[in-house]
Amino acid sequence: MKENTQLTDRRQFIKGAAAVAAAGALGAGALLQSCSRDRTKAVVPTFLDQAPDGRELKTGLIGCGHRGTGAAMNFVDAGNGLRITAMGDVFADRLNSCRHHLKEQRGVEVPDEKCFVGFDAYQKVIESDVDVVLLCAPPYFRPSHFDAAVRARKHVFLEKPVAVDPVGTRTVMASARMADAAGLKVVAGTQRRHQRDYVSTYEQIRSGIIGDIVASNCWWNQQRLWYVQPQDGWDQMTAMLRDWVNWRWLSGDIIVEQHMHNIDTVYWFTGKYPVKALAFGGRHRRLTGDQYDYFSTDFVFDDNTHMHSMCRQMDGCTNNISDRIRGTRGYTNCQNEIYDHNGQLIWSYEYPVGEDGQPSPQAMMSPYVQEIIHLVEAIRQDKALNEAEDCAISTMVAIMGRMSAYTGREVTYEEVMNSNLRLGPAKLAFGPVDIPIEVPVPGA
Amino acid sequence: MIIFARFNLQHPTKMKRFFFPKNRPYSAFLIYGFIIGVVFIMLSMRVMDYTSTDEFCMSCHVHPHAEERWVLSTHYDNPSGIVVHCVQCHLPPPGDFDHLWAKITTGARDVYGFLFKDPDEINWDAKRHITQAVRHTYESSCIHCHQQLFPLQLSEEGMHAHLYYDNHRDELNCLNCHLHVGHFSEHAQEILDFGFGQVSHVPEEVYEEAATVESFERFTETIPGTNVRFDMLPIPGGRFMMGSPPDEPGRRDNEGPQREVELSPFFMSEIEVSWDMYMAFYRETVSEGRPSQDLMASVQAGMDAISGPTPPWGSPDQGWGYGDRPAITITWHAANVFCQWLSEKTGKTYRLPTEAEWEYAARGGTSGAYFFDGRPERFSRQRWINRLFGADTTTINTYVIYEANSFYQTQRPGMVGPNPFGLKNMLGNVWEFCSDYYAEDAFAHYPAGQVMINPQGPPTGTERVIRGGSFRSDAYDVRAARRSHTRHDAWLLTDPQIPKSTWWYSDVFDVGFRVVMDPGQ
Repeated sequence: MKENTQLTDRRQFIKGAAAVAAAGALGAGALLQSCSRDRTKAVVPTFLDQAPDGRELKTGLIGCGHRGTGAAMNFVDAGNGLRITAMGDVFADRLNSCRHHLKEQRGVEVPDEKCFVGFDAYQKVIESDVDVVLLCAPPYFRPSHFDAAVRARKHVFLEKPVAVDPVGTRTVMASARMADAAGLKVVAGTQRRHQRDYVSTYEQIRSGIIGDIVASNCWWNQQRLWYVQPQDGWDQMTAMLRDWVNWRWLSGDIIVEQHMHNIDTVYWFTGKYPVKALAFGGRHRRLTGDQYDYFSTDFVFDDNTHMHSMCRQMDGCTNNISDRIRGTRGYTNCQNEIYDHNGQLIWSYEYPVGEDGQPSPQAMMSPYVQEIIHLVEAIRQDKALNEAEDCAISTMVAIMGRMSAYTGREVTYEEVMNSNLRLGPAKLAFGPVDIPIEVPVPGA
Repeated sequence: MIIFARFNLQHPTKMKRFFFPKNRPYSAFLIYGFIIGVVFIMLSMRVMDYTSTDEFCMSCHVHPHAEERWVLSTHYDNPSGIVVHCVQCHLPPPGDFDHLWAKITTGARDVYGFLFKDPDEINWDAKRHITQAVRHTYESSCIHCHQQLFPLQLSEEGMHAHLYYDNHRDELNCLNCHLHVGHFSEHAQEILDFGFGQVSHVPEEVYEEAATVESFERFTETIPGTNVRFDMLPIPGGRFMMGSPPDEPGRRDNEGPQREVELSPFFMSEIEVSWDMYMAFYRETVSEGRPSQDLMASVQAGMDAISGPTPPWGSPDQGWGYGDRPAITITWHAANVFCQWLSEKTGKTYRLPTEAEWEYAARGGTSGAYFFDGRPERFSRQRWINRLFGADTTTINTYVIYEANSFYQTQRPGMVGPNPFGLKNMLGNVWEFCSDYYAEDAFAHYPAGQVMINPQGPPTGTERVIRGGSFRSDAYDVRAARRSHTRHDAWLLTDPQIPKSTWWYSDVFDVGFRVVMDPGQ
């Protein structure tokens, strides 16, 4: 009898061992899966209304313009123990204005010795004992700022676009992989990926409600954007930096700086980015800078499906900011509605009820705060989050469209991925800016 | 289960029965088998450990410079103090069958080499070339240690290069960039050759005029404005059978059917276009960046000054030296622009030979496999009987630089004797470009029974004909009839730029060209 029981024990032991081995194998499988770089896999974030509590996070703001100020406020709004402890900008007046707003509206006080001005301010912010940096300078600066942040092992909020040229975009892609290896968390400023209505629609599309994707359109046609005319006493660098959304080397042009949101949405929804582009573009009514004011691009995917994209910044024209992805069984606006081919609504997002008792998008958590909540959640609970490479791919696709419009020739993704184009002056300093100022002429 | 149950016994007699079972002899097999197995595994592990030490490797590997260069390399002498041992690079990572199998096969090869080969006759330098190095260095082992492709100290260039590698892992090997990390080399080729094409001294004699040709005889061409001269030989017109007969040893299908061809007289350069000749062109026409498509079009239309090669990456001579060695790694397009430039400089018409002209010149009036007496099957080391007993290769050694005598690199033209027309290195040393498009069945398109006069090859195509075999070729492949072709994409595989270079191949080291000139000008 004794032997029997022991036999049973042994059996159980062996069963247990087998279970452990199986669990090990499963664990290894899961590990492998989490390491794989398959970007077509759907990863749907959870939605908390507030970042989970945890260790205090000291944060440095780099780039104190309107978006930087906004991002800093979003950051402190996202939860407890989230502090802005350092800030930097090229211009003292921008930094002071941001500091004033943060103090007035959020009670945030950053001491003088943690406020830095100049072209090297970003480096000083990174070195000032922070855990997280918010990278909100104009896109030209992003690759070098991101590289410095990752090498210093800081978690990052990475505003979009990530660069203005292929070389800078590749640097961000490489830094993204360095960040992965170092276990850093990176959230990008492509906020639709954190917007509850978009994410719910995305889940529907990925579950196959409109079938296979066959075509897409996207539009960012709006009125003229802001501009700043040079003022007396400004050198050329100052004039360009203060008017940065109108200069190619600082913003990447409108298709990169702004329209990239749409391009990223289609990339996110379809899980694919285009392999080539043929674009038209031109400049009719811009007042400053060297950019175009419209682009129209035919993007082609590897399965020969097309995405047509338009972007324009011009007053007095028809405006439209939206996306449309069409599948074999219907289409979606990506944000909150899905239709069949007859135009019948088959699904829509249910917004929360607002103060007036009606469902309202305004009652939904702001995506700009939500993305910070995701970042803090990932840092405090050590969850995987690194959006840098996806954001870089969308940036690269937008650059591909821009290069096609400027040259008038078809441009492939492989070409831009291998292009040595680098925009901007050789040296960053106040004074004259040593770059040719000319508006590109297609076919020239 | 049975074994587990057995060890549960406590009684001495039961123990006895356990080791000497009477009624179940198969149990004894199991038990002793198990014990022998354990002993065998322990001994094997000892043998594996012992045969994996650096001392063991070096006890047989009788090339002391390998050890000397290893000690100087970053895999021995580095800031972290870590030493990487022979087997960590020259075997796959331990722990699986690949490792064991590679250990067995390379071990067997080493023992064979130790017993039957003379280490002085092995070209160790050649084995360090990328084409050879990838065979005995395992990328899986590089990755086994270097798991982090984006370490903290990586430079911006390094980040871009590793990003490119990470996105193209199937096509690339770590050694493409890091060839000399295991054994130090003073001319490591990963360094960009910034000084390429610059001359540090003033040439002694600069020719002012090109040669004038008054008769159909050998003449020495002098390139005006340079110190470069080369000999052109008259090739009389005539008829010959192009291709090889079906019974020629080593023949390939693309060498037939044989066709009779008649050619007009022409001049041909005595030697393959040398680095000296090519560098005269490079120095005069080198362009800073890539010429635009428009510029290329104007060059082709002859409208503009010739825009020449861009600076190359790495050392295009592979570290073997320039001078009168054949120019290699230059593209078919670059060879053509060279001819165009040479024509302008000399006021003559230089061009690449047609495939028919090439074979006619290579045969020099003969019709066998080679222009000298000899049969490929007597020379080829592809035949085991030749490998085992050796072959009398005196004749082929006199005329041809090929796999068995090349030391795995290009050789200077003075090393070989000429063919009946006086031409050197028509067979071997480097493959040579022809102007014809390549087609597998090109000869079949020429009508049978007719004499083809000055044939030009297929009217269209993508790749071009190359002929003659190279320093890497077996004796079978340096026959006069052997045909091959360019492989544009494969030869630019590791060029990391798009568009890829118009001027320099990144991945072929044994193709060059020679020029012909039309007489009567």
